[in-house]
Amino acid sequence: MKKFAYLLFGILIIALMSACAPAMNTKLSEFPMMYQEQPLSILILPPMNESTAADAKEYYSTTIQEPLAFYGYYTFPYPVTADILKMEGIYDTELLVNLPLAKFKEYFGADAVLFTTIKKWDLSYMILASTLTVSIDCQLKSTTSDQTLWEYTGTVVVDLSGGNTGGGVGGLIAKAIVTAISTAMADYVPYARQANYRALSSLPYGKYHAQHNKDQQVQFIDQTPEETKTDAEPLTK
Amino acid sequence: MKRRLLLLVVFLTSVFSAGCAPQQSYYFGNYSQTLYASEKYQNEEAYVKHQQELERVIYESEVRNLPIPPGICAELGYINLKGNNSKEAIRLFQLEAQLYPESKHLMERLIQSANAKESTDSNVSNSSTSNDSVSK
Repeated sequence: MKKFAYLLFGILIIALMSACAPAMNTKLSEFPMMYQEQPLSILILPPMNESTAADAKEYYSTTIQEPLAFYGYYTFPYPVTADILKMEGIYDTELLVNLPLAKFKEYFGADAVLFTTIKKWDLSYMILASTLTVSIDCQLKSTTSDQTLWEYTGTVVVDLSGGNTGGGVGGLIAKAIVTAISTAMADYVPYARQANYRALSSLPYGKYHAQHNKDQQVQFIDQTPEETKTDAEPLTK
Repeated sequence: MKRRLLLLVVFLTSVFSAGCAPQQSYYFGNYSQTLYASEKYQNEEAYVKHQQELERVIYESEVRNLPIPPGICAELGYINLKGNNSKEAIRLFQLEAQLYPESKHLMERLIQSANAKESTDSNVSNSSTSNDSVSK
């Protein structure tokens, strides 16, 4: 029993360490434009929702500002910019995808705009573990060069049962109860925020972060699926 | 023994996950929650709660000696602008521009519209006593 516990412990440590630093890609090699253009301010555009969840748009848009700020960027207040865009007649971000972005520099003074497509926003209720699965496609585009500065395509799975790892059968039952309670409360805002944090993990830090311009060699997990990778390559280089 | 091991696992997990998370330098309070509620329910109660939360974030940031997070003053200013409280709106827009020079361009634009609104507002309040907030 003791031996088994040690083995489990060892596996856990390895799993955790590899989650933090699997030598895959450095931020500089993947997103050189970020370091060249040094965008300071980001305008978040209303997300394009392709998922089946009607309120995914609200969940996403109300929880993206905070992580971006923590990454050191100036983010324009989303409710304000969304309102201004509406007054200008822009309801759908879809219409902006292939248009020049200089207008955003002119009107808002934004260095970059964030396009997001929510591909999937699924809550799965299971007895022992409920999860939130978010698949998104993000592109940070420059308002001066119209180039894609940073992008993320991937899936984030957030465990909604609170992250308690141990406890035998009694623990499992307790966990099932906790899961039932937390899904019943339906406050997924913190989880949505967590999903956004994870999606941003390859984003180079901005001006207001201590690691600004010091993270070129930081490595991250490349989540871009193999088949789309070749398509995405020319955009980043 | 088993218990102690478990404790160690929990401790190490928290250490590793803390190592991955970006550094905390802002206080956002329940900003996302109240913003979500006001987007979802779009009623007066949710709007008021969100406005109070914005005020609280500013207050708590000052108490904790942290910079006010980006966008907060601008958003509160915008709410004041819509509620016909142009003076306070202008003060907040100026504060945002001072804290974050990146916002200056948009803030100047908003200050302009606040000034324009104030001059029409004062005309209105001269002729009548209406100073209540106009619905959006």
